[in-house]
Amino acid sequence: MNVSPATVDVRSTSYLIEARDVAYNFGETPALRGANLSISEGEILAVMGPSGSGKSTLLHCLAGILAPKRGEIWFSGERVDTLNENERSKLRRDAFGFVFQFGQLVPELTAEENVALPLLLGGLRRSDALERARRWFDRLGISDLERRRSGELSGGQQQRVALARGLVAHPKVLFADEPTGSLDSLTGELVMELLVTAARQDGTTVVLVTHEPRVAAYANREVVVRDGLVSSLVPQPLT
Amino acid sequence: MSLAVAVGVAMLLSTLAIINALSTQNARGAWLATSSQISPPARQATSQHSSSNVDPLWWKVSTDEFENQLIVRVDVAATGAQSVVPPGIPRLPGPGQFYASPALAALLRSTPASELGDRFNTTEIGTIGPLALPSPSDLIIVIGDNARTLAHVPGATKITGFSTSSSNGGPDTLGTTGLQILLAILGLVLLFPVLVFIGTATRLSAARREQRFAAMRLAGATLRQVAVISAVEAIVASVMGVAIGFCMFFLAKPALVHVPFAGQPLEAGDLSIGLIDILLIAIGVPVAAAMVARVALRRVQISPLGVARRATPSPPHSWRIIPLTAGVAELAFFAIVGHPASANGQIQTSLLGFFLVMIGLVLAGPWLMMAGSKIMATRTNRVAPMLAGRRLSDNPRGAYRAISGLILAVFVTSVSVGVVSTLLSDHGSTSSNTLASKTVTDQFAFSQNGSVPAVPTTVLASLHSIRGVTGVTLVYEAPSTTRIDGTVPDINGLGGDVQYGLVSCAELVTTPALGHCRAGATYAALADDIAFMPVTKSVTVAAATTWPTAHVSHDIDTLPVQLVAVATNGSPSAIARSETVFDRSFPFESSTSLFGQINMGSSQLLSQLKTASEVVILASLLIAGCSLAVTTAAGVSERKRPFSLLRLTGVPLGVLRRVVVLETAAPLIVIALASALIGLVASDLFLRSQLGLTLRLPGVAYFVIVIGGLVGALAVIGSTLPLINRITRLDDARTE
Repeated sequence: MNVSPATVDVRSTSYLIEARDVAYNFGETPALRGANLSISEGEILAVMGPSGSGKSTLLHCLAGILAPKRGEIWFSGERVDTLNENERSKLRRDAFGFVFQFGQLVPELTAEENVALPLLLGGLRRSDALERARRWFDRLGISDLERRRSGELSGGQQQRVALARGLVAHPKVLFADEPTGSLDSLTGELVMELLVTAARQDGTTVVLVTHEPRVAAYANREVVVRDGLVSSLVPQPLT
Repeated sequence: MSLAVAVGVAMLLSTLAIINALSTQNARGAWLATSSQISPPARQATSQHSSSNVDPLWWKVSTDEFENQLIVRVDVAATGAQSVVPPGIPRLPGPGQFYASPALAALLRSTPASELGDRFNTTEIGTIGPLALPSPSDLIIVIGDNARTLAHVPGATKITGFSTSSSNGGPDTLGTTGLQILLAILGLVLLFPVLVFIGTATRLSAARREQRFAAMRLAGATLRQVAVISAVEAIVASVMGVAIGFCMFFLAKPALVHVPFAGQPLEAGDLSIGLIDILLIAIGVPVAAAMVARVALRRVQISPLGVARRATPSPPHSWRIIPLTAGVAELAFFAIVGHPASANGQIQTSLLGFFLVMIGLVLAGPWLMMAGSKIMATRTNRVAPMLAGRRLSDNPRGAYRAISGLILAVFVTSVSVGVVSTLLSDHGSTSSNTLASKTVTDQFAFSQNGSVPAVPTTVLASLHSIRGVTGVTLVYEAPSTTRIDGTVPDINGLGGDVQYGLVSCAELVTTPALGHCRAGATYAALADDIAFMPVTKSVTVAAATTWPTAHVSHDIDTLPVQLVAVATNGSPSAIARSETVFDRSFPFESSTSLFGQINMGSSQLLSQLKTASEVVILASLLIAGCSLAVTTAAGVSERKRPFSLLRLTGVPLGVLRRVVVLETAAPLIVIALASALIGLVASDLFLRSQLGLTLRLPGVAYFVIVIGGLVGALAVIGSTLPLINRITRLDDARTE
């Protein structure tokens, strides 16, 4: 792996995000049953687990997408789970970035407009937003794709555009749910290297949900979700 | 789909029922269009005799007015015991007797005789039955006369039967033929958006099933089998829709009666649907749905691995605006250089211009939508207009299709409202507080020579004695020995030598609506068509005219009288009393109206047309709203994943709502307003070229209806917005 070195000391950093005894049900089916998790600022955390284990639900709870039925979610010293939907939307818009498996680009917009979307939502002028978006195309090695629509991009190119969109507004945390799930292994590795490099350069905390050990290997630390509970694996040294 | 088809079918049935009701109404009034040319078989209300052995009936139909309401007066006189009896009455009224419609009978009872009853000076012996009344509110009177008297009345004819159709070439006293044709056109205009709505619902429904068809292909189904399944599903869904639509129609029928489509409420019994209509809809809609589903399926390639569009739709080309530009240019050209001399030329140039504009609107719509949405998408700093603009400019034809029915409906009705409003505003009795609206004229146009030998002094005294009458002017026939200083102005612009009558300047000064004399003149020469053909000129022209001085060798008060004008203070009572004096004194020779006002029948026709146009505008906007609601729902469902993911990344629900509203509301509002504007511009150009008038903007009611219709349509579209919340629920979001 060709990942840039980082200097984040997990042990000395206060937690940026915490899940305390979080439970969530889909109807009668429990997805999380008292999950606990702490994530430090600048950390890249891989959340692993088999299909249906509750790892995506945990990510949704951490990101304020879902409000847990029980337990607490903390971000930057503030409770997230008690915020109303509008406040949580604002938090996601202002402090978080997202990368999903597929289908997250707006098909009507060009690649650069897709990347500029969070900035426009934040009230930036169109020309300024597009200028900042274009910088990310250079950074991610897709500088000739700015004017293309998502339908004209390959899966790997789409994920790089999505990554640019997730990071363009300099979020505190990037939530990535199976970001390489729809890519071949080679393209997946390329996307992960770009993601990790960009996150480390900007000091962005990353919560990475994956079931692939090769993808999880990019993280500083791995946790496993099984039957709605989180169990920690041995933290990897930050390189 | 079933629900959308049901709403569409209910609207279709309602439109057909209204058209049928108007047709039935007109058929009930057809007897009033009877002329001597009517040949057997003819309707006879009570007599069982064939028309070959009945006694002829003397017959004259004329119109009168009371407080802006049209009164149809039928004078009849039997020539024998076997004379035919008009429908709706049990027998012929004898001399001095009359039958009145219930509405007129009530009006006679509630109005002082000097304002209305004295015009007929006869005794009521019964009311006219509903079978002979187009509408319960119609004012009709059948007056019995002496055959010897009526035989000498100009325009009276002998008849042996009654017309059963208003389009038989007889005198169209009520303008029913024209109204029927125009309302039929408006009805057809309304059908178009309804059919577009049904088509849109069916097409989108077929498109939504595409993914399922792909799964069937994966399971081994052939393309033919998928096509058959698609057609069967469409037919089943549309049959259900048709059934529900019929139920909705019958539930809504009582409320439809109150729609003043032709200015008057309909009768419940008239709102009927014929067997052919029922069969056409019951069979035609499912068959059309199957065809639409087939066409929708052919536009996509359904393979076992999924659905692929055959190709990205090509953008519309700019040549599409050529016909619209050409049409407007043609109308503008004739507005500037004037209309062709021949009537045929005028009709052809107008029709060509309007035809080009209508075709042009349909063709130019997608291009204009693409151009407008591109500007919206690239100029904005906000996310919602950018997303909406991009989607619209990507597929302007798709967005336009849902409202294509609206564009012609709003254009046609705006032209109609524009022309009618101008005519009514210029000459109708609605133009209150003008000199013309306070002046009653009585022309002796129906007498043998276009004049009467004299107006009795008792009549003049009666007029002067009416409270509120401020002046009376008589216009006399000019003897051939008359000399005039200069020429008589051609105020109607008809060309040729202007015929004139003579007027005393001492009288003319009391009726300023007719113009004025030169200083010091005793007599003046007035154009004798001063109260004729006002449709081509504003009535204010006459009031501003200085008539040339006339020199005659003797007093003019012994000359035959062509016209009497009575100036009043504008009170309805003074006007009605003046009209009553005229009608009573000259029941058959004259035509009484407010000065410069279009014939009351034409005026009513125009009002009905205006009302119908406004109803069509409102209805077509609401129908377009339904079409757009269906499109919106489909568009939202199609973008479930990107919308859901955008929402969970923190994009507020309000932004997504604004995207959807802009995608639908922007085209709706722009197209509706553009159609209305082009319609008003086209009507202005038509009025300038053909009638020498400039457009008077329609009244507030028109704008309220357009805006109200738009608000209603937006409300219908708004009803789909909760769908966005439902399909982008965070609880259901799948991010992996």
